[in-house]
This record gives sequence, C-alpha cells and structure tokens, in this order.
Amino acid sequence: MRNSKIMTMSEAVERFIFDGASIGVGGMNVVGSPTAIAHEIVRQKKKNLTLLGCNLSIAADILIGAGLVKKCESGTCNIGFRGIPSMAYSARKYYQEGKLEIEDYEHLAMVSRFLAGEMGLPFMPVMSSLGSDILTYKAPSTGKKFEIIDNPWNPGEKVLLMPAATPDVSIIHAQRVDELGNVIMEGFLTHTPEMVRASEKTIVSCEEIISSEKTRDYPEMTTIPHIYVHAIVEQPWGSHPTATARYYGCDVEHLRMYQECAEAALKEGKSGMERYEHYLQEYVLSCATFDDYLEKVGGVSRLIELKRKMREEM
Amino acid sequence: MGDTVYKKRELMVIEASKYINDGEIVFAGVGLPVMASTLAQKMHAPNITLVVESGVIDPQLKLVPLSIADVRITRKAAMLGSLRGVLGCILQRGMVDVGFLGGAQIDQYANLNSTVIGDYYKPKVRFPGSGGANPIASHAKRLLIITPHQPRRFVKKCDYITSPGYIDGLYGRKNAGLRNWNPIITVITDLCVMDIDSTLYRSQGSPGSGQLRLVKLMPGTTIEQVVENTDFELIMASRIDVVDLPTESELSLLREIDPEGIYFQE
Repeated sequence: MRNSKIMTMSEAVERFIFDGASIGVGGMNVVGSPTAIAHEIVRQKKKNLTLLGCNLSIAADILIGAGLVKKCESGTCNIGFRGIPSMAYSARKYYQEGKLEIEDYEHLAMVSRFLAGEMGLPFMPVMSSLGSDILTYKAPSTGKKFEIIDNPWNPGEKVLLMPAATPDVSIIHAQRVDELGNVIMEGFLTHTPEMVRASEKTIVSCEEIISSEKTRDYPEMTTIPHIYVHAIVEQPWGSHPTATARYYGCDVEHLRMYQECAEAALKEGKSGMERYEHYLQEYVLSCATFDDYLEKVGGVSRLIELKRKMREEM
Repeated sequence: MGDTVYKKRELMVIEASKYINDGEIVFAGVGLPVMASTLAQKMHAPNITLVVESGVIDPQLKLVPLSIADVRITRKAAMLGSLRGVLGCILQRGMVDVGFLGGAQIDQYANLNSTVIGDYYKPKVRFPGSGGANPIASHAKRLLIITPHQPRRFVKKCDYITSPGYIDGLYGRKNAGLRNWNPIITVITDLCVMDIDSTLYRSQGSPGSGQLRLVKLMPGTTIEQVVENTDFELIMASRIDVVDLPTESELSLLREIDPEGIYFQE
C-alpha cells in the first residue's frame, strides 16, 4: 500500500505554507479559484506572501485584503465579469496605498516563466512585452526583470528573456484527484499545469477523491502526475464563488457582493474598511472550515442551484 | 431601413464584424469582441475559428459569456487546452489573423493602457493590467479596437503602454523588436472608424506617420464631434465615408446572442 497524501485543510496549510512563501495561485477570473485553501491561509495568518499567477482573482484578493501579501507577480488582478474588466479591489486598494507591490507581466510572459521553471531552465524567450511599459517599470523589490539579447541564429533580431518562475508552493482546485495525488482536471487548464510542475510543493483541493486504481485504467487522462503533488484535500465547492467546470457555475451575486465590500474598503474610509473586515470575519475567520462558509453562502439549496446553472450553460 | 432603431454599441459591433473574413483565426476577449466574432460567424464568416486565452479553441457559442473564463465560453469547443497552447502555440506562433483589444486610454499611435492612470508607482487609479492584451497587440496580424470615444480616453500619450500600437511612429514596433511590425489596426468607436496612417495605405504618397487616421464617421456624426472628443490631432483620410446603417437581420442575430441585452445597456 503506497502512502496517501490525503489530509485536512488545516494540516495541508500548516505543513506546506510558511511565512514569506511564494505561492502559485491556480484558476482564472471566475473559474477555478482555490478559495478554500486561501481561506485556511487567512485563518492561519501566514504572512509576507508573494503571489504568482496569470489572472489573480478572488482567492488572491482575499489574501491581499487580509493584509498577508507583500507582492504579486502576475498578468492581471481581475475579478471582472460581463465583459467589464474589474480590478480586484483589495489589490487596487493596497497598491494605490503603497502597501502592495505588483510586478506587472502579461499572461504569455508569466506562462513562459512557469514553462522555464517546469523544465529546469533559467529563463525563457518571449516575443511579446517588447515596446511596452511592462519592460519600463519594475517592482521596487525586483532585481533584474528581463534581458534582451540578439538572436544568435538571426543577428539583428531582438529576443526578450524572462526569468523562470518557481513558486515555493502552488495552490489549485481540481475536479478529481486520487490518493497518490494524480490530478484530473476538466475544462480549460489556463496556466495551472506549467505552474504546478514549476513549484517546489503543491496543495490540491478537489471536488472528488478517486482511487488510483481508477486513474490507472485511463492514465492518459491524468493532467498532473502525483510526483508534483504533496497535499490533497477533499473539499467539494472548494472554488466557490468561482466555477468548477462540469460541477457548478460561478456565483455571480456573491462575487459582486465581495467586490462591493472590497470597493467600500477603498472608497468609504473607516466604515468601508469595517464592511470589508466584516466580510472576512463572517465568511472566513469565524468559519472553522470551508463547509461552514458554504452554509453561510446559502447552503445546499444555493449550491444545487449553482450546479443546475452549470448544466444549463455548458 | 432609415427608421431602424438601434443602439450605438450595436452598430459598433456590427461594423467590427465586417473586418473579420471567413476562414480566419480570431482571438477574442469577452464582451463586444465575442459578440462581433459570433455575429461574423453567423453572417458571412461561418469558417472562422475563435480562440480564447484561457485555453478554449473553436467554441460554438449560444449565449454571450460573462468573462473569458466563464464556462459559457467553452460550449461545444473543438478543444479545451491551456493558456500556453493558445497564447504561445497559436498567437505567438503567428497564427492569429484578428485580435481584439480595448483599454482605459488609447493614444495617437494606437497604444493602449489598461494598467494605471497617473504615475505608475503612485497612481490615481490602478487597473487590472495586461492579461492577454499585450501578447495580442504584439502578435495578431490585424487588430480591432472597440472603444467608447471620449477625450479622457483618446489621449496624446498613454500614462502607461500596456499593449503597443505603433509605439512612437511608423517604425516604433520594428525598433522595439516586434516581429509583426506593421499590423493593420482599426479603431471603432461610437463616433467613427479610424485606422493607421501607414505605408499600407500609401495612396496619399506619404510614407505614413503611424498615427491614427479618421476614415469613416458613424451615421449622424460630424467630423467636429470626433475632433472635440479626441485629445490629439487626428489625421484625416483623403476621403471620409459613412458607416452603413445596420440591417434588420444583423440586429436580430445580435439580439439572439445577447437576449438580455447585457452588453448593450446604455
């Protein structure tokens, strides 16, 4: 019998997230946010975090709003929907108030950095970002952000090099994982496979745990093999209020409510700050587990409604 | 047809759809770009392939999605891949014919800003940042920018260039090292249609300046209105046409995709 990596959320975060860690954040905008893992990080108050990802969404924004993040390296911090790009409001607030560094990249540069990391390479050529202010500005704590070289095989052609990104630990939410840590993802993958394979450790929360016997019947369906995974937490609805493909749709009303609280903290001074703190207290800190949170956001009837929404829209 | 009732944004989308040709690969963000692509697909370009940065390849959309990562945008796709698969293996590889963009600011060289207003380190307002926009601007063969037309948006120089247009002149992109150095850029606003004064349109005999150029007016708009709402000197094409009014079939197809009018609230 091989060792199982299944554990509770509190154990996973206690063992693998540490103060000062760089954390790769899975998901994108309104899908696949590792919200349940982020909540536990807030409860355990892991500090001075650096977040890496492509489109940092609500999981990242909650960590920022809880005052635990010093820096983001990302393509965007966006919780926009209905075609309106909308800056994640805690990220906006902390950046505008000078309490958060954002190292601006773009999605192709970020995924190329993860690609270098996962292949054990020091950097990766990227042919975008050129001519933009992404190359003009860097975050105060960043050393060398990039290099431009002359293509050795085509003299005169500029090639941009971006450094490998290798997070200490990645946090992702997936559909199915077996007890060894083989991850089966459904729907689009965004930057998740590259990021996980570039990371030192990975925590995966999932909708369902399956048996590795089942995985081995169709091993070509495995998105990420177990060697990259260190902690598995069974947490259905673990990416609420964002969606998980084939399981449930996005809870637009809750996302909007979150953004309103975070916007209030930015724009309405003390009372606004209290409103955001109330959100954290009510939905994160006063919950012993993510299941308690799921009860508070509407419980079984609301969750079934989100399931139905996914079925109707796919 | 003269009394057809339509919204300005509907006509912007309908006009944009005409710049997509059948058989092309189209990189679309959610919102008006997806609407324009889907409309083109239903009108004159059934063989276009839509790609979306989250990893979606060739979806068959029924309802307008809420975001690029909304599951609605995966409906009946040919493949759900990864961000690298789309941004790297399709876009950077040079396979995208048309890419859509937008931004908080656009300047005289069609550079776009979706990062900050004001100083980068001490901004008045911080926006989400590039996302997939910079790679689209870098690599799509043609760019379509759909944006409202206001003086605060059409500025002489962007506070921050998130996505490069012609940067600082006709050879700006070439000097920066962008392989795709002279893309066709079309800007569609509620007032007009603009393109780039470039070598590609050398009919005037000039080598071009790489700046935005007025080519068409929206029905009922005057040149003065465009000038008033643009915070830099706009180059005028030798002939300025008027955008066609929308047809009943264009409008009804558009309203089928967005029955709730989510994207057309004015």
